Amino acid sequence: MFNSILNAERNRMNRVVITGMGWVTPMGHSIESVWQRLIAGDSGISKTTLFDAATFPTSISAEVKDYRLSDFIPELGPHAGAGRNTQFALGACRQAWSAAGLDKAKLDLDRVGIYLGSGEGSIDFEAYTTAALSAWKNETSAIDVVKWAEVALERMNDVRELEQEPNMPLSHLALLTGAGGPAFNCLTACAASTQAIGEATEILRRGDADVMIGGGAHSMIHPFGVTGFNRLTALSTANENPARASRPFDAQRAGFVLGEGAGMVILETLDHARARNAPILAEIVGYGSTADAFRITDQHPEGEGAIAAMTEALAHAGLTPKDIDYVNAHGTGTRENDGNETGAIKAVFGDCARGCPVSSIKSMMGHLIAAAGAVELICCVLAIRDNILPPTMNLEHSDPECDLDYVPNKARKAKINVAMSNSFGFGGQNDTIIVRRFAQ
Amino acid sequence: MRRVVVTGIGIISPLGIGSKAHWEALLAGTVGIRRISTFDPAGFPCQIAGEAPPFKIGDFVPRAYRKATKVMARDIELAIVAADDAFKDAGLQSPAYTDKPNFNGTRFGCNIGAGLINTELNELTAAMTTARSESERNRLDLTRWGKDGMTQLTPLWLLKYLPNMLACHVTIIHQLKGPSNTITCADASSHLAIGEAFRTIQRGSADLAICGGAESKVNEMGMMRHGLLKRLTESHNDSPTDAVRPFDEDATGTALAEGGGLLILEEYESAKSRGAKIYAELVGFAASQDTYKITDPDPTGRSYARAITGALRDASLTPDDVSLMIPNGLGIPTADRAELAALKTVFGSRLPDVPISLTKAQTGSLAAGSGVDAGTAVLSTSAGKIPPSVNTIKPVETRLNVSKESRDAAVDVCISSVYSLGGQNAALVFRRM
Repeated sequence: MFNSILNAERNRMNRVVITGMGWVTPMGHSIESVWQRLIAGDSGISKTTLFDAATFPTSISAEVKDYRLSDFIPELGPHAGAGRNTQFALGACRQAWSAAGLDKAKLDLDRVGIYLGSGEGSIDFEAYTTAALSAWKNETSAIDVVKWAEVALERMNDVRELEQEPNMPLSHLALLTGAGGPAFNCLTACAASTQAIGEATEILRRGDADVMIGGGAHSMIHPFGVTGFNRLTALSTANENPARASRPFDAQRAGFVLGEGAGMVILETLDHARARNAPILAEIVGYGSTADAFRITDQHPEGEGAIAAMTEALAHAGLTPKDIDYVNAHGTGTRENDGNETGAIKAVFGDCARGCPVSSIKSMMGHLIAAAGAVELICCVLAIRDNILPPTMNLEHSDPECDLDYVPNKARKAKINVAMSNSFGFGGQNDTIIVRRFAQ
Repeated sequence: MRRVVVTGIGIISPLGIGSKAHWEALLAGTVGIRRISTFDPAGFPCQIAGEAPPFKIGDFVPRAYRKATKVMARDIELAIVAADDAFKDAGLQSPAYTDKPNFNGTRFGCNIGAGLINTELNELTAAMTTARSESERNRLDLTRWGKDGMTQLTPLWLLKYLPNMLACHVTIIHQLKGPSNTITCADASSHLAIGEAFRTIQRGSADLAICGGAESKVNEMGMMRHGLLKRLTESHNDSPTDAVRPFDEDATGTALAEGGGLLILEEYESAKSRGAKIYAELVGFAASQDTYKITDPDPTGRSYARAITGALRDASLTPDDVSLMIPNGLGIPTADRAELAALKTVFGSRLPDVPISLTKAQTGSLAAGSGVDAGTAVLSTSAGKIPPSVNTIKPVETRLNVSKESRDAAVDVCISSVYSLGGQNAALVFRRM
């Protein structure tokens, strides 16, 4: 009853379409080249080079390679001091903006907003560690804060510090595009950019903007980022065989591989897209967002929050599980997630679960954390465009807990009209988006 | 469109723990800014801040959850204290307090703004000292750190500092399973979070939400960052109560503070049917973005003004309807001038008539904890009081409607607005029921 009232209400709201996409990933920096590599089952995972991780439990990662912001933005101007995550965001946004054929001069920029799910920047490692170690007093087992302040004032730099704030990618994109509409950044861990695109869609549905840039950017491939995940024992330690380390849904899965990058989409009300003859890539038809309210360290074992997010997204889309042609899984390759997610998909899809292909590109690209959801949503749109499913690589040993069709090891042609993308954050924030092939 | 009302206010601020303590101290003109006590600030150019009164976090969580308090950064604690106050104030029996909760957790959202949470320096450095470089003792040797240095850190170390943990702990403690989000847009976080929660209830994705934000910048890194950016006053270390002077000619910078401000928003019919005390109606929200510079607000205030006028339009109100304006008012001269330019754009020649409360003079700069301002706005509306502007003695604009003392007045429509370093702007409009 409630859902039918809700749907009637939503039918009066704007339809929202995707008109441009861009990404900077461990497997390349253009939509087409990365997509081809994903379909080919390549890997973007290799030995970590951004710092000396040789003795870390995990010394592999999926780094963005050979990326120069100046290839995308020749005059860096205010972006010269941008942090690594922001540089990724800028490159991805420039791609999406151009692909959508947007022109500043022809837009009401006050009606163009931005909603990102971007992570914090990397700590200024040398300055931070030197100040801390210089000021440590063994006698008191504590920092001498007066000494610390003296060293920090000398070593730390105002811009490098400011660029670590999680709203900086957003602020830089505003300068790049001139977008002056509603602007948000959310940081719900691994669910962030899915949530950002979902909430950006709601802003457009309601009519609070005509165009929204949605997506996320993140890099945690730095000594303290890897330290944090290694201490949680969340990362794969299969350092000898990087390409095979990320094994979503495989019986021998043993953790995720840390990636980095950015994904950006241009979202637009259908009316606005039509009026300017924009290329329409897909329509966003459903969004669900829930909390597990279970534990900060564990997902709900029955996937309660994940089930509720998928169910809500379906209800909002006015679809049933049999309408879903593909699920792009959160599929991190941790023991916990993949089993719980499988159970949640089965609970939602019932009899249709086994007939619905599910895959995880994290097997190839690693886990882009806050940026993961945006990159994965882009894959859903490309799967619809090309009627092909990216594979789950390294799926070699079957796990009784993971018994769905995961598109193992080889891309597959299939008619895809509707795709669902799942993202689940540490701490229990769950988000699901459903995209559909655009039809008048 | 469903109507949304405020039925609970939770606050921890330098002025007190609990919305009542905060409100009474605010009206009395108390200033919460003092010399920093949590660490020795002697090495910093600015040595004052607004610290929250001491509390034991164990007193604010269910007994069964006390173990989890070991993995809480200060910011998380502030959010939990504010949430406890908000639930109790709203008369909501959450599973934290009873076996028989009086709400449906699946229809209850949580939207808490947060900042970049700083690692406790002592905790991380104690671990780092086990991995000093042999040749340069003040350098961290990554080979040693990777091998065994990092094992000195508690396994859950990372989880203390993830910004979404404010919302995650609150959802777990109170069993809230609706939409949950964490907005991280510095000073604008709380207002954006409240605005988004407002929309989720309007559109029917939730019936209730706890929303706002919490942050503490009163730590070494927070003080260092804002000091380097020259945002802090360096001339009031001996006169902290006069330090933050919003819109005043003698303003020299702001002082950092810590706090949390959370509102309970509730769908109007649901609030009525449970006989809830209704403080005010949330009637308007808008957000906008500057496109000027990363480090400075647009001096014309053009974009910020659009957030305020947009929120009024959303509420079907006009600037003439506004009975109280609570701007960000940080006491940073360039930022204050930009904000005043925005207010002039919004109110035009009527600006000298609009009562303004500049509360940061008393609380300091609350960053993502600026939900405290939103709580103040709601309290002003429901109580019919205009909080004072204690340090605005020589207004930059000669004709500003500010008062050193609190005033009685019918506050039918109150706006609370903020901007962030980075250019995000947001405004909320509350109306008396």
